[in-house]
Amino acid sequence: MATAEVDVHVHPTLADANRDITRPISKPNKRFFLLLGITVLGLGLMFGAWFYQIGAGIGVAGITHPVFWGVYITTFVFWVGIAHSGTLISAILYLFRSGWRTTINRTAEAMTIFAVMTAGLFPLIHLGRVWYFYYLMPYPSQRQIWPDFRSPLVMDVFAVSTYLTISALFWYTGLIPDMAILRDKAKGWAYKIYGALSLGWQGTVSEWRHYRRIYLYMAGIATPLVLSVHSVVSWDFALSIVPGWHSTIFAPYFVAGAIFSGVAMVITIMIPMRWAFGLEAYITKDHFENMSKLILLTSTIVGYSYATEFFIAYYSADPIEIESFRWRALGAYALPFWAMVFCNVVVPQALWFRKIRRSLPALFALTIFVNIGMWYERFVIIVTSLAHEYEPGGWGLYTPSWVEISILIGSFCWFFFWFLLFSRSLPTISIAEVKEHLAHEHAHAEEGSHE
Amino acid sequence: MSSGVLGQYDTLYGTVEAIETLRAAGHTELEVFSPIPSPEIEEAMDIHSSPVRIWALVGGITGCTLGVLLTAGTALGYPLVTQGKPIVSFPPFVVFMFELTVLLTGIFGLVALLVHTRRPVINLDPNYRASFSVDRWGVFVSADGDRIGEAENLVRETGALDIEVQS
Repeated sequence: MATAEVDVHVHPTLADANRDITRPISKPNKRFFLLLGITVLGLGLMFGAWFYQIGAGIGVAGITHPVFWGVYITTFVFWVGIAHSGTLISAILYLFRSGWRTTINRTAEAMTIFAVMTAGLFPLIHLGRVWYFYYLMPYPSQRQIWPDFRSPLVMDVFAVSTYLTISALFWYTGLIPDMAILRDKAKGWAYKIYGALSLGWQGTVSEWRHYRRIYLYMAGIATPLVLSVHSVVSWDFALSIVPGWHSTIFAPYFVAGAIFSGVAMVITIMIPMRWAFGLEAYITKDHFENMSKLILLTSTIVGYSYATEFFIAYYSADPIEIESFRWRALGAYALPFWAMVFCNVVVPQALWFRKIRRSLPALFALTIFVNIGMWYERFVIIVTSLAHEYEPGGWGLYTPSWVEISILIGSFCWFFFWFLLFSRSLPTISIAEVKEHLAHEHAHAEEGSHE
Repeated sequence: MSSGVLGQYDTLYGTVEAIETLRAAGHTELEVFSPIPSPEIEEAMDIHSSPVRIWALVGGITGCTLGVLLTAGTALGYPLVTQGKPIVSFPPFVVFMFELTVLLTGIFGLVALLVHTRRPVINLDPNYRASFSVDRWGVFVSADGDRIGEAENLVRETGALDIEVQS
């Protein structure tokens, strides 16, 4: 069957939805173990490089005067950005009653959690002496000194950890009815595990009554949380006086960029997943087209922000700000800068064409460009600003070391390692929500046939 | 196990109709199992709100208060001027108040869900069937004596596919 051509108008039954969506949760095949093995090798590379850095000292990383924030902080911001679309799709589209979110929200939420888990490693790696990480936590020390709550770095700790916790709770709440489905299908130890995770869910009217409300409230609180997290991350930069960073545009600019990169990553992951698990009847081209429109919208916001930054630098008449942006576009890091513009602004313009929005190979390639472009965006913002501050005597260049590159590559393996385990043990699509949608569709179809 | 009649239905609106018929006949002790969330069933059962909203509100207020106490309290406890800002700097502290508000609203909400649904449980309801997590709706009517027969008839009339009588 030409599965890629399956249309949205194929309506599976409720039992079909149970069967099709839970089908991937079976005995893993050799292909799965091969992919898992590759990610484990990457994890070995990452942890090997990290342990080497812990043993030898942070000097083995390329960060040095004047660029003390390099690949680690770039990659931290990149993964926090990736994490954004999950809650965006889950929460904001839920509040707007956008029906098309139902088949993609679970994967996007999982992506959020794994991306935050990946992002969370980088401040620890960047610390060098990782065993001092607890200094950022508010705990009563014997000297009675608490973290400085006026510092954006402490805000970051609270924002990212709250985001991780709420995303995990939101994800788990959504999973409870689906785990009851898995429990009812399972036998032996799997029955016990899914039974425990489903908390004894039976789909009574009382359960659904409380569940629907709490899911709505969680969506309600997660929505401003999404906007706050990347705003807070942007203030790590904007609250300093570094030229290129000290700008009020940063919060909306970062949020738009985060949604842009996050939705791109959802597409990058969902295209192969849809193919591998045979979910064409549930994840249709309409879903990809809607997500493409979101990419196009956020790409234009991001492009507008790039232009605004340059205009404000010019309009400020501040020679240091002007020089910082001139050097960003024409200096030693011009290649990453123009790669960023090409990937994030030029390439997504192809999405004006419906044919591209509905072509999965084209979308897959395009979203890879966006992922690369958004990593470069963070690199450009961080490194070019620090490398070219006020005093010419303090200027300098930064080149990542093999340790940093290894950890960067390993972070992708870490992310995909968790994602692979998720895809084999839990439903990648919310079964209860899909069935809710199908039940109403069937009821309307029945009504139509009676008329 | 309590006595009564368990009917299984294969459509949402068939289930809603059955609930309305049974309630109209005076059978108000119903337990309904559904594979999907359904405001229609809640409406038919005359259920309108959930106390979890109070928990969420209390969680939010607690989180916000904790945010004020943590930031302003610790700043006043060790009054050290940094960045030339006032000891109690409200604008940056709002971030912590907001984050803790969101955090505790979510945690209290999940706890409320567990408390009000009385979960987790180890043993499932004896009237629960695995088909209720697939494509069937279940309506269990608690009844005894003569009313069992009446309930069975009503369940049959409303189009139940499977009927189990427990006496």
